[in-house]
Amino acid sequence: MKLTARMNAPSRPRSSEERAQWARANVWLFLLPALVFFVGYQVWPIIRVVWISFTDYQFLANEPANLVGFANYAEALTDPLMWAGLGRAALFTAMFLPGTIILPLLLAILVDRVRNQRVATVYRVIILIPAVIPSTLIFVLWKWMYNFQVGPINHFLVEVLGVFTIQTAPQWLGGTALTLPSIAIMEVWWGLGYHTVFFLAGLAAIPKELTEAARVDGANEWQIFWNVTLPALQPIMMILIVLRFGTSMAVIDEYLIFGGFDRESPTYTWTIFMYDQAFKTGLWRQGFAAAIGMIGAVFMMVFVGGLLYLFRRKG
Amino acid sequence: MATATAAIPMQRNPVLHRAAVIRHCIILFFCAIIILPLLWVLLLSIKSMPDSMRGNLWPRNFDFTHYGYVIEKIDTLPINLFNSVFVTGFTVVITCFCAVLAGYALVHLKFGGKAWIIAMLIASLYFPTRVVSIITIYGIQSDLGLINSTAGLILPYITLSLAVSILIMRSVFQLVPGELFDAAKIDGAGPWKCLWMVGLPLVRNGLVVIIIVNFVTAWGEYLLCSTLTNDQSARTVPVMLAHAAGGLGQWAWPRIAAVYVIVTAPGLIAFAFAQKLFFKGLMEGGIKA
Repeated sequence: MKLTARMNAPSRPRSSEERAQWARANVWLFLLPALVFFVGYQVWPIIRVVWISFTDYQFLANEPANLVGFANYAEALTDPLMWAGLGRAALFTAMFLPGTIILPLLLAILVDRVRNQRVATVYRVIILIPAVIPSTLIFVLWKWMYNFQVGPINHFLVEVLGVFTIQTAPQWLGGTALTLPSIAIMEVWWGLGYHTVFFLAGLAAIPKELTEAARVDGANEWQIFWNVTLPALQPIMMILIVLRFGTSMAVIDEYLIFGGFDRESPTYTWTIFMYDQAFKTGLWRQGFAAAIGMIGAVFMMVFVGGLLYLFRRKG
Repeated sequence: MATATAAIPMQRNPVLHRAAVIRHCIILFFCAIIILPLLWVLLLSIKSMPDSMRGNLWPRNFDFTHYGYVIEKIDTLPINLFNSVFVTGFTVVITCFCAVLAGYALVHLKFGGKAWIIAMLIASLYFPTRVVSIITIYGIQSDLGLINSTAGLILPYITLSLAVSILIMRSVFQLVPGELFDAAKIDGAGPWKCLWMVGLPLVRNGLVVIIIVNFVTAWGEYLLCSTLTNDQSARTVPVMLAHAAGGLGQWAWPRIAAVYVIVTAPGLIAFAFAQKLFFKGLMEGGIKA
């Protein structure tokens, strides 16, 4: 193949048949770089996780792993921590998901109505700022915001509003009951950027004539929202709900930074349980950790599949 | 229809005007919520030491020496900054290279198995891949001798946003009509030349989007970096900051706030310049993917 291509090189244009052959050989060269990384660091690690979840593999132990069948799964499923972990992740999702859909939707509808293009652009750029701040820097920022000593949130509550004293001021992070809501607020703030821009793109796609016609027909703003705007935004909203459901059920970095490894902490979800077993306690029982991870993932995928199925029938 | 649209701006009645004022107030409220935390950190980084210990927002004395102090006195900071730039730079360049090639191939080249590849990419977005794969990625890096290696982080970092980058480039390439490439082919250009001369200029906005997405992901990555490295000198600045809590000396509040500003500002300034292309690209490809 290569030879023919080289031989024909001087006499271009070549025949269409030869050119098609040449292109076909090249296709895999185009895909190869992406596939190497995708397979090497996504597909293969997951296949290995599935494999070691059926073994008693311990990373720090020197003995070779043995197949143990479903023993890891049985152990995980009978461990109350597994269920508490799934429940805590679900609780966080319930706190986070409504806010991260409704607030950006509201904000997008408001910004969409700004007629002055320059003002609208300024708004859009400011709103997108949280989306271009890298994740860990968001967590660090809010860790300081919630700080007991210098954080402006407690300062505002104690000194300005006076609803708390220094002694009674809330302890936001570090595994208290307030930790999950605090993280949820931070995540909503973080999502404000991308989600609003997503909805703005959806709103821009609605023909202006449609809303104007409804207005001429005597529909009020509320009716226009329910009957024109919302149905048009439904596809975007569904994608966002499914994607954010996935990310919020599998949060890990925030829990590692804000919660630690206290098993009683509300941040000790299935992801932390998995990480704890794989990298912190004992000989790093990675076979068991893999089973925990797979149970969490399958649990999530069932819900994601359900949501997709539900939305497909409606949309 | 034309009359209807024309009629709207005419009716400047007080009710509509009040609605506009309320609208702008609500939007400005949200904008304030977004900007104020960042301004607070900026302010913290120029507060004098005693002022930083008290909660008061506005300091009695300013102190601008913290920036110089952290660069000179935190001995790992220059290394951490270099690590961040090094790892992020390579990750962005390699991921974008892979995504452009793959996105082009998935739209404009013919081959079998295309639907499978796309389905796998989408499935990887819904599966908690990043979280679950950390267990075995540690083993892979250990086998390759890359534990505690900064350069070794680049390999798993590339895949973090690879799938979404490919899907974005795919939807951007779908907007480029195939006839353009056909015309170039008839002129004797091979697929590589087609992509480089014809395709790349037309997908510029999408490229800006994936550059920013990959920069944001790699610059702020925590899980892999904190798991795969042990020494502070092997880590990136955000991970080092995540482990720092206000204390004494180099870890005093205004000083770590100065570090925060140093690592956050460049990205925000770059985004401010690229925002026009970014929004265009987002409309072209980001929303669909």
